[in-house]
Amino acid sequence: MLFIFEKKLGKMKIVFMIGGLLWACLAYNQTADEIVATYLENIGGAENWAKVKSQKIQASVSVQGMKIPVLMYSFADGKSYSSFTMQGKTMVQQVFDGEKGYEMNFMTQKMEEIDAESLENLKRNKGDFPSPFLNYKEKGYTLEKLEDETVEGVDCFKLKFITGKKLNEGKEVDDVMYYYFDKENYVPIVIETTIKMGPMAGKTSQTVFSDYDEVDGLFFPFSIKEQLKDGDGQGQTITMEKIEINVEEDKSMFDFSAYEKN
Amino acid sequence: MKKLLILLGVFSLSGAFTQNFLKTLSAQELFGSMEARHIGPALMSGRVSDIEGHPSDKLTVYIGTAGGGVWKSTDGGVLFTPIFDKYCQSIGTVKVDPNDPDRVVWVGTGETWTRNSTSIGDGIYKSEDGGANWKKMGLEKSERISNILINPENSQEIFVGVLGALWGDSEERGVYHSSNGGQTWEKIFYIDEKTGCSDLIVDPNDFNTMYASFWEFRRTAWSFNSGGSNSALYKTADGGKTWKKIHNGFPEGKLGRIGVALAPLDPKVIYAVVESEKDEDKGLYRSEDAGNSWKHLNNDFDLTVRPFYFSRIVVDPKDANVIAKAGLSGAISKDGGKTFVGLGFMHSDIHDIWFDIEDSDKMLVATDGGLYRSLNKCVTMERVENLPLSQYYHISMDNEEPYNIYGGLQDNGSWIGPSSSPAGIEARDWLSVGMGDGFRVFPHPTNSNIVYSEMQGAENVWRFDQKSRQLKIVKPYPESIDQKLRFNWNAALSTSIHYPDRLYLGSQFVHVSDDMGENWRIISPDLTTNDPNKLNQENSGGLSKDNSGAENHCTIFTIAESPLNKDVIWVGTDDGNIQLSKDGGKNWENVTAAFSGKLAPKNTWVYHIEADKFNEGTAWAVLDGHTQNDSHPYLIKTTDFGKSWKLMVDSTVIGFTRSFEQDNVNEKLIFLGTELGLYVSINGGENWIKFENNMPSVAIHYMEMHPKKHDLVMGTHGRGIILLDDLSPIRKLLTEDTKTDGFKEELTFIPTPVYFMSDESSFGNTSTETQFVGSNPSDNAKIIYFLKKRHTFGKMNLEIRDLNDKLITTIGAEKKKGLNIVEWNYSMISPKIAQGKTLDFGGFISPRVEAGKYKVIITKGKKEYTTEIEIAYPENSVFSLEDRKIQYATTMEIYNLTEDLAYLVHQIDFYLKLAENYKENNKYKKEVLPMVERLNGLKKTLVITSGDNYVGAAEPQLREKISDLMSSVSGYFGKPGKNQLENLKGLKKAYEEAESTYKSILNKEIAKFTGFRLKDNPEAKLEQLQSKTDFLKK
Repeated sequence: MLFIFEKKLGKMKIVFMIGGLLWACLAYNQTADEIVATYLENIGGAENWAKVKSQKIQASVSVQGMKIPVLMYSFADGKSYSSFTMQGKTMVQQVFDGEKGYEMNFMTQKMEEIDAESLENLKRNKGDFPSPFLNYKEKGYTLEKLEDETVEGVDCFKLKFITGKKLNEGKEVDDVMYYYFDKENYVPIVIETTIKMGPMAGKTSQTVFSDYDEVDGLFFPFSIKEQLKDGDGQGQTITMEKIEINVEEDKSMFDFSAYEKN
Repeated sequence: MKKLLILLGVFSLSGAFTQNFLKTLSAQELFGSMEARHIGPALMSGRVSDIEGHPSDKLTVYIGTAGGGVWKSTDGGVLFTPIFDKYCQSIGTVKVDPNDPDRVVWVGTGETWTRNSTSIGDGIYKSEDGGANWKKMGLEKSERISNILINPENSQEIFVGVLGALWGDSEERGVYHSSNGGQTWEKIFYIDEKTGCSDLIVDPNDFNTMYASFWEFRRTAWSFNSGGSNSALYKTADGGKTWKKIHNGFPEGKLGRIGVALAPLDPKVIYAVVESEKDEDKGLYRSEDAGNSWKHLNNDFDLTVRPFYFSRIVVDPKDANVIAKAGLSGAISKDGGKTFVGLGFMHSDIHDIWFDIEDSDKMLVATDGGLYRSLNKCVTMERVENLPLSQYYHISMDNEEPYNIYGGLQDNGSWIGPSSSPAGIEARDWLSVGMGDGFRVFPHPTNSNIVYSEMQGAENVWRFDQKSRQLKIVKPYPESIDQKLRFNWNAALSTSIHYPDRLYLGSQFVHVSDDMGENWRIISPDLTTNDPNKLNQENSGGLSKDNSGAENHCTIFTIAESPLNKDVIWVGTDDGNIQLSKDGGKNWENVTAAFSGKLAPKNTWVYHIEADKFNEGTAWAVLDGHTQNDSHPYLIKTTDFGKSWKLMVDSTVIGFTRSFEQDNVNEKLIFLGTELGLYVSINGGENWIKFENNMPSVAIHYMEMHPKKHDLVMGTHGRGIILLDDLSPIRKLLTEDTKTDGFKEELTFIPTPVYFMSDESSFGNTSTETQFVGSNPSDNAKIIYFLKKRHTFGKMNLEIRDLNDKLITTIGAEKKKGLNIVEWNYSMISPKIAQGKTLDFGGFISPRVEAGKYKVIITKGKKEYTTEIEIAYPENSVFSLEDRKIQYATTMEIYNLTEDLAYLVHQIDFYLKLAENYKENNKYKKEVLPMVERLNGLKKTLVITSGDNYVGAAEPQLREKISDLMSSVSGYFGKPGKNQLENLKGLKKAYEEAESTYKSILNKEIAKFTGFRLKDNPEAKLEQLQSKTDFLKK
C-alpha cells in the first residue's frame, strides 16, 4: 500500500514516497491465522475495521530539509487519490477511480494516464482496503508462517502473505509480502518485498512501521519509513499528521475531464 | 481505550538490568544501525562455479560462486543481486525445480572445483519464493554437492550427487534420493569413503535413466591426488535402484575425474571427458547409444587440462553436435566433438557454460574472473561488471586521506583501491600492482608511493614505486646453490611496525631486509617441522601431474612483530608450529608443545598470529584445521610469551578460522573471521556474537583495523573488501554500559566526536548503470543513542536546534532496540519560496549550517531527551574562517530575500484570489480590474507564471534569479565573488522596487478594494491576510 515515486526533476532527483495506509494488518500466529486474529483484535477489532469505508490521511515527507505535505484518500470501492504540496503548489500525484487512473508528469506538471500494467495491478488491489488481511482467504490470499526472525532488534513472527497475482512485464507473478510482527504486541513493524522492476530489481525493500496511535478506536502507524534492506539506512520517512476515517468523497477528485484534454 | 492500555502495558520495562547489559545483546541489537559497507572491487570479479537457467523464462538466471554465494538475474544476465547472504557462500550447484520454476530453487553448497583454496559447503538449501527465503534441507556433512536432479513430474522426488569431503575420508558421498521433497534423504549409491559423485545427469525424457560419474580424489596441505581404481561412470535405467559401469570403449587402468553431458535434443548422444593414465587416451568420448559404447574423439589441451578444475561439458539445447568444454580458455565444437576452437577472449579458467534456451548463440560463461556474456556463440565476450566476487587472501592499508586498501586476489593479481572516492568507488579507482595470483601487498609504512607485492610461492616479490613507475623484483635468493627455499603459495610477506624500510618474508626461514628488499638475510633456523613426507610436491596431482606450487608445505605462514617491543617476533607455520624470538631473531623458542595436541590437533595450520596491542607477553593465534579435515574454529591466547595457551572460542562460533583483529583502544573488543562470517566479542572472548548487518556469511581471510579511522577492513574470499566503518561508537557504548550501570534510561545518548563538514565537491562518477560502484563512508554528523526497547507506540521525533532554541531541522528518528544512528547532513530547512506556475530548483536548496554546537532533542512519548553535537570546518581546509563567515552571511541574506519574496507573492496572490469573486461583478468590475492588472503585472516580474519544468520553461523572473544565486553561493564553501555580491545587490534592489510597487498598489487599489469589500460584505473582514511570521513558520 505504499506508492513510491521517483522522478527526475531537472538536475535534482527527488525521491519520495507517499505512504498509503497501513491499515495493513498482519497476523501473527502461533499459527498464521492466530497471529492475524490477535493483530486485528489489538488494533481495534476486525468488525470495526470492516466498518471503515474511507480514509483521509494528512502527512508529510521530509526530503533534504524540505517538508512536503501529502494528502491521501482511499476508499473501500478501490478509489484512491494522493496529492502533495511543493513550493506552495498542490499537485495531484496519482488518482485512480477504480477503472482509470492518472499520474503527474513532473516535467510538464500535467496528468498522464497510468500505464496499462500498473493500472491493472491497481485494479487487482481494489479489495485490499482497509486491510488486505480482512477476509483474506475469501480473496484468495494465502498466509504462511516462516521461521521467526529478529528485525529492528525485536523478536518477530515472520509471515509470508501472498495477495494474489500481479503483472510484472507481462508476466503473472505472486504478489508476496513478508510481514514481521512484534511478538510482544502483534503489530507489524516491518514489511519486506522484492523489488520486481527497474535497476533495483531483485533487491529487497523494507517498510518500517512505528509510532502506532489510536484513531477512533483503531490503531494506525503514524510513522512509515521506506528503505532498501542492507542499504545505507537512508530511507524516506512519511509522518502521518492526521488520519480520519469514513470521510465523504469529494467528487471533483475523480473528475478526469480536465486531464483528458491534456 | 482499554486496548490502548493493554498495548502500552507491553512497554513497561521488565526488571532491572545489571551492568554489562550489552553482553546479553545480539549483534543486531549491539550494532543496531551500523551496517557493513561493500566496496568490491568488481572489475576483476571472482570465481563463478555454476550457472543455472530457468526452464521457460530465458531472462532468469542464477549463478553459484566459489566464495560469494548465489546471485540472481532477471534480465538475462545483465544485472545480478545476491540472494544467499545468510548462508555458506561456497556453492556447488543451483537447480530450478522444473515443476514450479518461478518459485522453487535448490542450492547445493560446496564448490566442486577442488583447488587448494576452495572452501567447504554445509548442506543443501531450498527456496520456495525464488530465492527470497531459504531453508536448510539436510546433507550437512556433504561438503560438496555436484548436482541436483528434480523429477519434472514430481517435485517431491529429488536426486543429489554428493562429491563430499576433499581433505579426508567421509561416508557422506555418492547419490542421495528423497521422495518427500527433501525432508529425508537416502543414500542409494555409494562407492567408498574416498570416492564421490562428481557429475550426475538425467535423460530429460526418462527420469529413471541417470548417469553418475564417480571420482576418487584427495587433497592434503602438501599434495593432491586425482584418480584411482574406483573412479568410474555409471548408469541406472531404473531410477537409481541398480547401477552399472558403462566403460565400453573407455581407457584401461585407473581413471580420474569424468565430466558427462547428454544432448537434450537427442539424449542417446552422450559426451564424457575422461581423465586417464595415458595422455593419448585422455579427453573426449562420445556415445551414440546412451552409454553402451564409447568412441574417443579428441585429446586437445582444453579437453584434458586440469580435470579437477575443469571437468564440465555442456551440450547446446538446440544442436546435439555443438558442445562446449570448460578449461583454461574453454573450447567449443560444432562437429560433435571432432574438432574444437577456443572460446572468445576472456579471463582464463572456465568452469561452466550456459546456452540461452531460445537462442543458443546467446551464452554465459563462468570463469575465475567472473561471468561473461556472449551474443555470438562465444566469439566475442563481454564481462558482467556488477559482480563483486573478488577473493582476497590478505589486505593492508596506508594512512593517506582517504586511506587506500592493498591486497591480493585468487588468480587476479594485486590491487590498490581507495576507501572512499568522489561519488562512489568505481572500477577506475583500482590500480593493479601485481600479476599472477595476488597475496600480501603492503605500502611502505612511511611512503605509500612504494608498494610491495608478491605472486604465488613468492616466485616474484615486487617493489613498485608508483610515482616514478619503477618496478623491481626484490625476492630473496638461496644463500647457496644447494639451499632450497620453501615458500607457501601464500607466502608470509610483511612490513615492520618499528623499522620503515624493513621487510620480512617467510620460507622455512625468516628472511629480513632492512633496505626495502635490496638485500636479505636469514635470521632463523628452519622453523617448520621440515617433515620429508610433506615435501614431494613434484609428484603431486595423481593421474594429471599438478605441481603449481599450491601444495608447497612446511613453510612459514605468519610473522607478527609485537607493536610494544621491536624484538618480540612471533612466527606461525602451516605445519603447526608457533615459534617466538624475544631478541629480534637471534634466538628462537618453539612454543608449539604448549598447545599442540591439547587445544587443537597436532600440525594444525597456524593461519594468523596477532601480537597483542596492550600486553607484550600476550598473543593471539588463529589455527585453521580444515586441511586436516577439521572444521572447528580455533583461537588461542597466551599471556606469558607462549608458555601456556587458552582456547578463546565458544560453541557460538561456526566455521574454521583464518583471521583475527583486536580493537586499537578497547582490548576486550575483538573480532574473529571464520569461513562463515564475522564474529565479535566485547569481553575478550568470553562470549561471541555473529555480526550480520549487511555482512554475508563469507570467508574472511584477513582483517585489520585502520589506526586513525577505526574502521574494521575485511579482505573476504568471495565478496571483495567489506568495511565496518568507525567502530568508536561501540567503544563508547561499552563505556556507557559500565558508567550507567547497564543503561537505566530508555534512551541513552552515546557521546560523539566533533564532526567535520566535508568541503569537497564532485561532478559524480563515470560508471554506467551496469557497473558495480562501491559505497562511500558517510561524512554526515551522527546522532547516536541506545534504546533499551524498540519504539513502536506513540510519537517519537528528533529535532536539531541552535543554542538559542531556533529550529534548524527535523530528522526521522531511528527506533530500533539497541544502537541507533541518525545522520544529519548539516543542512537547515530550506527557505519558503514564492509560488509560481512552475517549480523552482532553488526552492529545493537547504543551506548548510555554520560550525558550532547544536542541540539535539528527541521527544519520545511524553519524555524529552537532549544532547549536544558539535560540528566544525575541516582542518587544513583551503577556506579561511573569515571567508566561510562571509559565505554564510551572504547565503542567509539570500535565504531571507527568498522568503521576503515568498511573502510578497503570497500577499499578491491573496488579493488576486479575493478579486476572483468581484471581477465578474459589474458593480465593482471597473474598480477591481485595475488592481488585478497591476498585481498581475507586478507578479509576472516576480515569478514564472507560464511554461513547464522542462524545455517549455519560461523566462526566469526575480524568484528564479534569486535562487540561481542561492545555488551558486550556498553550494560553495568559500566567500562569494564580487560579481555574485553585485548580483545580490541588484536582486535586492529589484525586490525593494517590487515591494514599493506593491505598497503603492496596497495604498491605492487594494485600499479601495478593501473598502468596498467591507462595505459590500461585512463578513469579508474575516478573510485576513496571514502575518509574515505565521506564513514563514516551518
